Amino acid sequence: MNTIPGIGLVRGMSLTLRRFFQPKATIMWPEQKADVAPKFRGRLQLLYDEYGTLKCETCFQCAQACPIECIDMGGVDTKGRFHVHWGAPETYGERREESALRRSGRPVADAAFARFAEIDLAGLDAILEAHDYDPKEMLAILEETQAEYGYLPVAALKHISRVTGAWYATIYGTASSYGHLQFEPPAVPGAAAGSATVGGAHRAAEDAFRSAFEASLGLAGRAG
Amino acid sequence: MTALNRSLGNLSTAGKVILPLLFLIMVVAPVLTILFALFVGPWLVNVLNSNMGIVRFVVAIGGVLLFSIPAAFIIIYMELKVIAYMNLRVGPNRVGPAGALHSLVAGLKVLTKEDFTPTSSDRVVFTWAPVLVFLTCVMTFLVIPFGPGLVGQDLNIGLLYLFAVGGMTVVGLLLAGWSSFNKYSLLGGLRSAAQMVSYEIPLTLSVVGLILLAGTMSLNGIAEQQSGWFTNWFVFRQPLGALIFFIAAIAEANRTPFDLTEADSEIVAGFATEYSGMRFGFLFFAEYVNVFIVSALLVTLFFGAWGPGIDIGAIYTWLGVTPISISIDPGSLGIGLLGVVLVIPVALTVIFAAPFYLARSSTPAWQALLLGFILFNVVAIGALFFLAYVNLDWVAGLVWFMAKAFAFVYLFVWMRATFPRVRIDHLMAFAWKWLLPAALLNLFITATAIVVVKSL
Repeated sequence: MNTIPGIGLVRGMSLTLRRFFQPKATIMWPEQKADVAPKFRGRLQLLYDEYGTLKCETCFQCAQACPIECIDMGGVDTKGRFHVHWGAPETYGERREESALRRSGRPVADAAFARFAEIDLAGLDAILEAHDYDPKEMLAILEETQAEYGYLPVAALKHISRVTGAWYATIYGTASSYGHLQFEPPAVPGAAAGSATVGGAHRAAEDAFRSAFEASLGLAGRAG
Repeated sequence: MTALNRSLGNLSTAGKVILPLLFLIMVVAPVLTILFALFVGPWLVNVLNSNMGIVRFVVAIGGVLLFSIPAAFIIIYMELKVIAYMNLRVGPNRVGPAGALHSLVAGLKVLTKEDFTPTSSDRVVFTWAPVLVFLTCVMTFLVIPFGPGLVGQDLNIGLLYLFAVGGMTVVGLLLAGWSSFNKYSLLGGLRSAAQMVSYEIPLTLSVVGLILLAGTMSLNGIAEQQSGWFTNWFVFRQPLGALIFFIAAIAEANRTPFDLTEADSEIVAGFATEYSGMRFGFLFFAEYVNVFIVSALLVTLFFGAWGPGIDIGAIYTWLGVTPISISIDPGSLGIGLLGVVLVIPVALTVIFAAPFYLARSSTPAWQALLLGFILFNVVAIGALFFLAYVNLDWVAGLVWFMAKAFAFVYLFVWMRATFPRVRIDHLMAFAWKWLLPAALLNLFITATAIVVVKSL
């Protein structure tokens, strides 16, 4: 195919011509708002107040809210010379929780944290024992955890992280990259209409894009 | 006098302007018109008639100058929109319907920007270089036949004139680069000069075969030889020449993939580095006018100029049908014409408004009338256009010419959306090692074929 001289030009031109007639990806902001995932936190940027000093007071709330623990906290030393990293990244979670608790004096009660509720870890411990607490067998561990609980509770992921030594972010990343692993309890058929929107049906554009994308890859029949 | 002053004082500011204007329009204008028609008109017609050549020239110059601006605007808008569509974007969509006035606003922006001249630049040359570039572009319009008889000056050496004037662009670019007092501008100017001079040679050589075939260098003559069926188009008799001309023309117009003169994503801006404001606007305009000229040239030389490519007359005789000729002579109505002019718009507006008014009882009368009026205008303009297309050769020719020319403009934009830029040494090697020999080969084959055919 590539031996014919000039065929590349024709193929490129045909590609652009096909693009010309395809539907456009532009979202007509501000008439139309982007369909953004609920955990999207926008651009990460430290803000300055009107006196030119940083508004950040190291409360760790941003790091605490970050769903994949990508926010790390650091700063400069007291003379403003050297960049300081506060400890190893693995210990952020503990220090963060500690800091937030120390500042507020009490754990934050929030309905959104309901699924962080404690679970019975006996089954999970059995699974982990069977896999010798080996993080290399993470996928099998996660699949069996899902079989045990019906979904992947955050408490279970935290426990797996603690006992296997794998970072929570890594486990989360592994779990979220497989379509058959889910973080939400399976929808109850008789549930109220209001709670049904929590699952994922409210992101119509993303679902449409995903189904179109999978169809274009020939994956339409496979469970997402 | 005081009464007049007082009543004037009672008017608002807008009223103070409108009232004198009303007086001018309703009283002074008719009087002046009648006086003009009675005394000045016949004399003026006489003078103009006896100097037809000059009048034609001035009208043509004015026409091409006026035409070049909207053409450039349309092409700029087209480029923005088409490339956006090919990138799966929407493109300009805020100014005017679908962003159609975007390039107009961009032009106004260029006009209002600071026109900066670098210290110790050569002021005179710096000022006049864009004018030279723009002028050479516009001057080439003069010999392009837009339709039957719709040509500024039918020079018998039209093609030679075209290449001569088009070649002056290089001088303008060089002057622009040199006078900027900036080494990058100078290098950019030299680079564009090298490119354009290199591609001028295959460009010119590629049409020599066509000139041999056509036996004339007049663009009008070449266009007339391609009338009738599209098989008469020179692209079928000179395919290699057309291809070489197409490639060289892209380089002459500084379009992707040969847009090294102003590689907008890589170097500063070539020769235009130091230019700002309307002087940059002239260079920018010239680029887009050039695109249109190159498309128009391609159409004129190789793609049948103004002809539709279908011999309607032959089809009619083959079918045994006499073509319907619509000839309306409004003068035959006499004074009744005035009545028709007064009655028809009102009547048609009401007729077109009636369905809107009757279809939904909630439609207010004024809305229905407005819709009817708009519909009447659309229909009237369409009918007028249809009549003009059927009855006037040059309107039909112009429509076909513009359609073809803009098809080629679309092709150029399409290529810009697709191809990456050629490296400068590849560019030069391609011109001298491939295009020039190919053009010479084309010339040789054409000349041989002509000799052989004549001797048979």
